[in-house]
Amino acid sequence: MTPATTPATVLETADRVDAGLYVEVLQFVAREARLLDEERYPEWLALFTEDATYWVPGIENRSRHDRSGTHAPERMAYFDDTIADLRHRVDRFTAPTAWAEDPATRHLHVVSNVEVEAGEAPDELTVRSVFVNHRGQGSTDSAVLYGRRTDRLRRVEGRLRIAARKVVLSHATLPAKNINTFF
Amino acid sequence: MRTTAPMALDLRMLDEGRLPREIFWSEEVYRLELERVFARAWVFVAHESQLPKPGSFLTTRIGEDEVIVVRKRDGRVAAFLNSCPHRGNRVCSAEAGEARGFVCNYHGWSFGLDGSLRGMHESGAYDREPGFDRSELGLTPVAQLDGYKGLLFATFDPDAPPLAEFLGDFRFYLDVMLDNDPGGTEFAGGCISSVLGCNWKLAAENFAGDALHAGWTHASGAEAMLGGPVAALGDPSNESYHVNVNGHCWEFNLDSVGNAATIGDRRVVDYLREHRSRFEERLGPVRARMVGSVSSANVFPNFSFLPGQNTFRTWQPLGPHRTELRTWVLVNRDAPQEVKDAWKKGAMLTFSPSGVFEMDDGENWEGATHSNRGVVTRRQPLHYGLGMESRIDHPELPGNVHRGQINDANQRAFYRQWAKMMNSAGWDGVLETEDAR
Repeated sequence: MTPATTPATVLETADRVDAGLYVEVLQFVAREARLLDEERYPEWLALFTEDATYWVPGIENRSRHDRSGTHAPERMAYFDDTIADLRHRVDRFTAPTAWAEDPATRHLHVVSNVEVEAGEAPDELTVRSVFVNHRGQGSTDSAVLYGRRTDRLRRVEGRLRIAARKVVLSHATLPAKNINTFF
Repeated sequence: MRTTAPMALDLRMLDEGRLPREIFWSEEVYRLELERVFARAWVFVAHESQLPKPGSFLTTRIGEDEVIVVRKRDGRVAAFLNSCPHRGNRVCSAEAGEARGFVCNYHGWSFGLDGSLRGMHESGAYDREPGFDRSELGLTPVAQLDGYKGLLFATFDPDAPPLAEFLGDFRFYLDVMLDNDPGGTEFAGGCISSVLGCNWKLAAENFAGDALHAGWTHASGAEAMLGGPVAALGDPSNESYHVNVNGHCWEFNLDSVGNAATIGDRRVVDYLREHRSRFEERLGPVRARMVGSVSSANVFPNFSFLPGQNTFRTWQPLGPHRTELRTWVLVNRDAPQEVKDAWKKGAMLTFSPSGVFEMDDGENWEGATHSNRGVVTRRQPLHYGLGMESRIDHPELPGNVHRGQINDANQRAFYRQWAKMMNSAGWDGVLETEDAR
């Protein structure tokens, strides 16, 4: 028998999270998702710290024994962004000449399986979640993307802010023509 | 292989600057395309840097044929069909990596890096079988594989002219990207792929010559990255061109850094400016100004790139109305790591499924494909009539040269080359230049 297995440790850590804090984080991620659904991008950007990083690596279909893994920082990424890069993207979404954004995409950001843990810094939390992102476009087009997020949330002047987000998509070949949204 | 065309593709209307829409919709045209274009042309399969050592492999497609590209023990690169000769299952399921060989999951037929059959589950039964000859049952190799300055191409046609001849004088232009620095080039790392609901040719022709769409389609991207609109490209006083050779096309102006500036990182533009004299040394004064300029290119049939942003990509057909886009980022091997990283990130920020420019392209190509579902719509020819009188001779530029990058000359050349291959089972008259012979 193996004493003190890793899964038990993870569960114990999760159990120690304060219920009020957990609800606060749940509310935070749900509100964030709604800002994205409603394309309220400037408000969404305000949820990030100025030193935030936002990383969505490309996923490769690699063998189990391939130690280089399915994604890595030295490979191409859909997003490898600072807050300045995210602002560029928002500038494109909000430009009146973004023809492909009209009629508007019908977004649905579903976030679930939220786990809250203490972060590495005393004012930070590690928050894990999964998401389903549905986009309806035109009369019949639809795209569904799935993935897993790991966030570093920081408390800034009493409010939760996103200091880092890593998004690991479930897709190697993206089953969509573009990503005209955020996760 | 078929010896006669099951349908006549009459593209003479290109001489009047028109194109029939059927070629973007018809299943029959598509099936013939797979045979006459993709099973015969030299198709890009890998950059040498993706296969750094013996055992390095990647999987890709030529047309709809799945292919393994691998560096063998002797250091040479080979390519085989990714299909077991026993029951047809694929023998390699990963998109890239390192292997000692390839083993089919179904019955354990195993193959060396050279494609030869090495063994199988219950091999004794085969050994007792009279007349069974392993040497006849390797993975089917491509007919020819060759490279040009780091880019590797393959063809299934043993009769295809050599790669040097297929590329012809287009190699003069390819050197702008592949040979502007003595260290050569590499792909920066990784591959990102996505699926578009469009005909592959609409994407390829866009990179072949469509400078016109840049200022309109990508107005919002330019606003985001440059803080203003794309500069008007059609002023007759601008020095810009459409050039093409054997259907390989490059549209460009000579502003040196116009494309590069869109990725929003000073380090890339600074690198180009600092190396300008080296580019001139290696490429001469005209090509030196093409390295990062407002431009785009397509190597016939489906290998496209953008100088400056340095996105390289293939448009792999998955049916007449579906295309898989695979993208990489090209950098000079000897560039500082921070410049390579900036290029990789900038290429993705602008030209990837999440890129602020590329995001608008797929929507257009899907619309341009699916409107042709209508039978009456499909009868209406499309307008490809810009620059009908723009052909010039240029003392420094080889191939077919046209004045002005706001032009349809390259798109017409792309479709003429496509029609030549579609209408002929052989190679007589398919390539226009004999210079490489």
